[in-house]
Amino acid sequence: MKNNIKIERARHDMTQADLAEKAQVSRQTINAMEAGKYVPSTLLSLKLAKIFKVEISELFQLEKKDWK
Amino acid sequence: MKTNYLFPHRFKKIGWIILIPTLIIGIAFFGAEPEFLDFRIFTLLNDYIVLDAEGTRWFSVNNLFDEIIGILLIVSSMLVAFSEENEEDEFITNLRLKSLTRSVYINYGILLFSMFTVFGLGFFFIAVFNIFTFLLIFISIFNFNLWKSKKSLSHEE
Repeated sequence: MKNNIKIERARHDMTQADLAEKAQVSRQTINAMEAGKYVPSTLLSLKLAKIFKVEISELFQLEKKDWK
Repeated sequence: MKTNYLFPHRFKKIGWIILIPTLIIGIAFFGAEPEFLDFRIFTLLNDYIVLDAEGTRWFSVNNLFDEIIGILLIVSSMLVAFSEENEEDEFITNLRLKSLTRSVYINYGILLFSMFTVFGLGFFFIAVFNIFTFLLIFISIFNFNLWKSKKSLSHEE
């Protein structure tokens, strides 16, 4: 799964720490998601979409390999 | 909804404070039987019947050194292993689960390997150590993974 967290974060001029605090998670979580090493739960995804004021589908996109 | 069956974060520190000295004393004085710890205690099962050990059906004379070390080791490693991290979120929980799976494989891997390479009393010792190594292996793997994920933060920004 691809995500635009890093792009959205830059657009909102937020550091990883800012976003972590807003989403009530650790900085490691934000870092792991941006690196594509961790797929967040529905709850966290919804929170991130709300923080960035975007639709969830704008933040996360399925990739071909997700279907395998 | 937030049931994670973990102890509060402060218990981790308490766990470390007990675990490290117990581990050092347990290894340094392995097999020791200080006289002041000889006690006649209630027993559910003992060697009385088969080995004619000291004692009777319900009581036996035992040195409590290894029991005390064993109990302290198990309780303190449980506290270290299963206390919440400072920021226990879903990613950390995921890391915890992965580390737990890996430590089960490693611990039972060691046991399986010993089953066909170590025999007699040697195997008995490995089996006893295995009781403690499971939690210790988990603590090592989980903390290594935590350290790795924290270290990758320094490359950012």
